[in-house]
Amino acid sequence: METIILMIFGVVVAPILGGLISGVDRKVTARLQSRFGPPILQPFYDVAKLFGKVKVINNFWQVFCAWVYLIAAALSVALLFAQSDLLLIFFVQAIGAVFLVMGGLASSSPYSQVGAQRELIQVLTYEPLIILVFASIFMVTGSFRIDEILAYDQPLLVKLPLMFIVLGYALTIKLRKSPFDFSTSHHAHQELVKGVLTEFSGPYLGIIELAHWYETVFILGICALFWHTSLVGVVLLLASTYFAEILIDNTMSRMTWRWMLKYVWSVGLVMSFVNLIWLHVG
Amino acid sequence: MLPMMLALVILLPLMAAIGCYFLRVSTIRSMIVLVTGVCIAVTSLVLLGQGSFTYSPSTLLGISWDSLVTLADFSLLFVILYYAFKLKNQLIKVFAVLQIIPLAVFELFFVDHAAEVPAFYADSLALIMVAVISIIGSLICFFAIPYMKEHEEHLHLVNSRQPRFFFYLVLFLGAMNGLVLSNNILWLYFFFEVTTFCSFMLIAHDDTEIAVKNATRALWMNSLGGVAFVFGMIWAYTEVGSLSLQTIIEAGPMGGAMLVPIGLLCLAGFTKAAQLPFQSWLLGAMVAPTPVSALLHSSTMVKAGVYIVLRLAPAYAGTFLSEGIALCGAFTFLACAAIAISQSNGKKVLAYSTISNLGLIICCAGLNTPWAITAAIILIIFHAGSKALLFLCVGTIEHGIGSRDIDDMHGLYLKMPRTAIITIIGVLTMILPPFGVLLGKWMAIEAASGDIFVIVMLALGSALSLVFWARWAGILLTAPLRDKVPAEIQSPLTKFTLTALAAGTVILSLFSPVIYTGLIEPMIGKTYEITAGVFSSPVGVFAVYPIFFILAAAFVYAWIETKKSGNIQNAQSYMCGANVKEPGVQAFIGPMNQPVTLKASNYYLKSFFGEEKLTLWINFVALALIVLMLGGAL
Repeated sequence: METIILMIFGVVVAPILGGLISGVDRKVTARLQSRFGPPILQPFYDVAKLFGKVKVINNFWQVFCAWVYLIAAALSVALLFAQSDLLLIFFVQAIGAVFLVMGGLASSSPYSQVGAQRELIQVLTYEPLIILVFASIFMVTGSFRIDEILAYDQPLLVKLPLMFIVLGYALTIKLRKSPFDFSTSHHAHQELVKGVLTEFSGPYLGIIELAHWYETVFILGICALFWHTSLVGVVLLLASTYFAEILIDNTMSRMTWRWMLKYVWSVGLVMSFVNLIWLHVG
Repeated sequence: MLPMMLALVILLPLMAAIGCYFLRVSTIRSMIVLVTGVCIAVTSLVLLGQGSFTYSPSTLLGISWDSLVTLADFSLLFVILYYAFKLKNQLIKVFAVLQIIPLAVFELFFVDHAAEVPAFYADSLALIMVAVISIIGSLICFFAIPYMKEHEEHLHLVNSRQPRFFFYLVLFLGAMNGLVLSNNILWLYFFFEVTTFCSFMLIAHDDTEIAVKNATRALWMNSLGGVAFVFGMIWAYTEVGSLSLQTIIEAGPMGGAMLVPIGLLCLAGFTKAAQLPFQSWLLGAMVAPTPVSALLHSSTMVKAGVYIVLRLAPAYAGTFLSEGIALCGAFTFLACAAIAISQSNGKKVLAYSTISNLGLIICCAGLNTPWAITAAIILIIFHAGSKALLFLCVGTIEHGIGSRDIDDMHGLYLKMPRTAIITIIGVLTMILPPFGVLLGKWMAIEAASGDIFVIVMLALGSALSLVFWARWAGILLTAPLRDKVPAEIQSPLTKFTLTALAAGTVILSLFSPVIYTGLIEPMIGKTYEITAGVFSSPVGVFAVYPIFFILAAAFVYAWIETKKSGNIQNAQSYMCGANVKEPGVQAFIGPMNQPVTLKASNYYLKSFFGEEKLTLWINFVALALIVLMLGGAL
C-alpha cells in the first residue's frame, strides 16, 4: 500500500519538480548570458499553451509513440519512488527512449529522421555508462534494490567519486545539453528544426516536454542516491550538479557524434575501471 | 507410455521425413508436416508435464539400439566423407577421417559394451529444449509450406526440390529432440552429427554457387566441432570410465586432467553455436531459404551448442574454464552486437544478433551461479520465440517487397501493415521489459555484476543491441499520413504462424514467473522469491505482472488516443518551407526549381562498427580467449 502511495506521489510531484527545474535552468542560463530571462513558471505556461494548440500530425504513429514515451517515463519515476530495482527502472526508462526514437522515425522528414538516428547514438553513449554506475553501486552496497541501497550507512560519493562524474556525463547527454545536444537542442534558431522533435507539435510536443521533465527528475533521483544519508547533502549535491550542467551547457559548443562516442566511452570506461579497481583493492 | 512418447518426438519426425521424400504430392506432404508438427508439439508438452526421467529402450528385433546407433553413426560419417570428396574439400576430408579413426578405435578397443548406460535422461532443461524444438520448430515447418511454394515459383523450377527440403527440415527436429534427450554420450554425438549434416544439406538447398560454398564452410566448421567432440568424449571416458553424460557431470566439479575434455566438448558447443571466431558459417547460412535460417537460429542447431555448454556447466563450476567460458561468451555478445549496427541487410542483423544472444547465454553458463543458469534458461526459451518470429517476418517481407535490406523497409507499414506490426512486436520483445528476453538479460547482468570485465562487456553490448533494434522498428513506421492503409493479404498458414508466434512470445512473457516456479526452480533450486508475479532476491526485483499490466493499459490508451487522431489535421513534413505543394507528394523544391523526392537512410556507423573493420580483430581476440580458456584449464 505504502509503495502504491509513493508511486502516485512520484507521478504527481515529478512533473512539477521537473518543470520548476527547467524554469530555474532558463533563468540561470539567461543570467549567465546577461539577459533577464523568463519567469520561473514559464515552462508551465509554455506547456499549457502547447496543449491548447490545434492538433497537427504527420503520421498517426507519432501520437502513439508520444503517449508511450510519456507513460514509460512516468512509470520509471514511479518505480524510482517505490524504491524498486535500479536496472529494472532503467530498462523501463529505455522503453520511453525507444518510443521517442520510433516517433521521430515515423515521419519521413529528413530532419526528424536524422534527429532520431542521432538520438539513438546518444542512447548508445549513455546507456552502458549508467549500467556501469548501477553495477558499481551494487559492488558497494551488495544490491540493486533502492530500499537496500538506502540502508547503506555511508554516502556512496565517498566510495564512488569517479562513478559520479561518469553519471554526470550520462546526465548531460540525457538532458541533451551542450556539448552533447545534437539530437535536439534548446537554442534559438534550432527551435524550428529540432532534430527528433521536428515533426511533433501542439499537444504532442507538450506530452514530450512533460516526459522530459520526468526524465530530468529520474536522472537527478539517481544522482541523489550518491548522498542518500543526509537531506542537506542531497540538496547540495543536486544543486551543484545541476549548476555544473548549466555552466557546461553555456560554455561548450556542440560536438559531433563521432567525438561524443569516442570521448565519452573512453573517458567513462577508464574512470569506471579505475574506480572499480580501487574498490576491489580497498 | 514413455517409450511411445520418446518414439513420437524422435522417430516420428524421421518417419515423416521419409514420407515427405517419397510421397511426392504436395497436399500429402503438407498433411504429413502438419500432422507431425501437431503430434510432436503436443507430445513435448505432455513430456514437460510429466517431469524428469531416465530411460533405456530395449532391443529392436533382437538388435540392441546401441549397435544401431553406432552403425548409423559410421554410415553418416562416411556419407560426410563422400561429400568431402564430391566437394573436393581437404578440410572436411581431414576432419571426417579424424572422427572416423579415433571413433573406430574407441568403439573397438576402449568402450566396455557390456556396461549399462541409460540412453535417455531428461530433466527440466532437456524437456524445455524439447518443447522449444517441437513447438517453435513445427511452427517454422508450417510456415515453410506456403513459403517454399512461393520460393520455387520465384526460382521457376521445373522439378520441385521440396521433397528433399522437407525431408531434412523435419528430420532436423527429430535429431534435435534426440540430442537434448540423450544421456549416452555416443548417442549424443550421433545426433550432433545428424544436425551438422542436415544443416549442410539445407544451406546448400538452392544449389547456387554461393549456397554450396557457404554450406561447405558450415560443414567444415561443424566437423571441426565434431573432432573436438570425439576427442573430448574419448578423453572423458578414459578419465571417468563411463559413457553416461550424467556420470561425467557428477564426477565434477573437477580440476586438472578432466577439465580439458570438458573444455573440448564445450568447444564443440561453441562451433555449433557459431560463437566467435566460428561465426562465419551461421552468417553464410543466410543464403538458405528463410525457414531454414529461422530453424537454425531459433530452435535447432545453434541451441544444440548452447545446450551442451549449459548441460556441462556443473562439471566445470568454480574452475578457470568456467571463467574463460564467461569471458568468451561476453565478448561474443559485445562484438556481434557492435557489428550488427553496421549491417543494413535484415537477415544479417538477425544473424549477428543471434550470435550475440547465444554469447550471452554461454556467458551465463560460464558465470555458473544458480542466478546465471536461470538467466540462461529464460534466454533460451524467449530468444527462440522472438528470433523465429523475426526471421519469418523478414522472409515474408522479402517475398512482399523483394528485398531484405532494412533501408528498403522504410514505410513498410503502408504496404504490409500486418507484417510490419508483427515485426515491431518481435523487435520490442527482444529489447523491452517485461518481455522474457529482457528478463533474462536483467538476470544475466545482475548475476555478472561482481565480475568487472564481464559486466563492462554486457553493459556495452546491451546498449549496442538497443540501437539496431529501435532503428529497425522505427523505420517500418515511416510514412506520410494516409486516410486508409489497404489491408494486407497473407496466406492462411503464414498468417497463422506469424500470429501464433507473436501472441506466443508476448503471452509467454506474462507467464515467466510460472515458467520459473514450475520448471526452473525444481531443477536448480530457489534463486528468486515470486510474489504476485514479481521476481525478487536480496539483490534485485523484477516486477513482471505489474509492469506487464501497466504497459498493456498504456498501449491500449495510447492506441485509443491514436485512433482519435484519425480526424485531425494532417501536415506535410517540414522541409524549410520548400515543400512541393501537391497532395500526397513527399518532395521539396531543390536546385533549378526541380522537385527532389525525400530520401532518408540509417546511420550505420561503419567507421566504428564496420564488419570488414572489426571482423579480423574480433576473431583474433576470440581465438586468444579460447586458447586462454582451454590452456588455463590444463
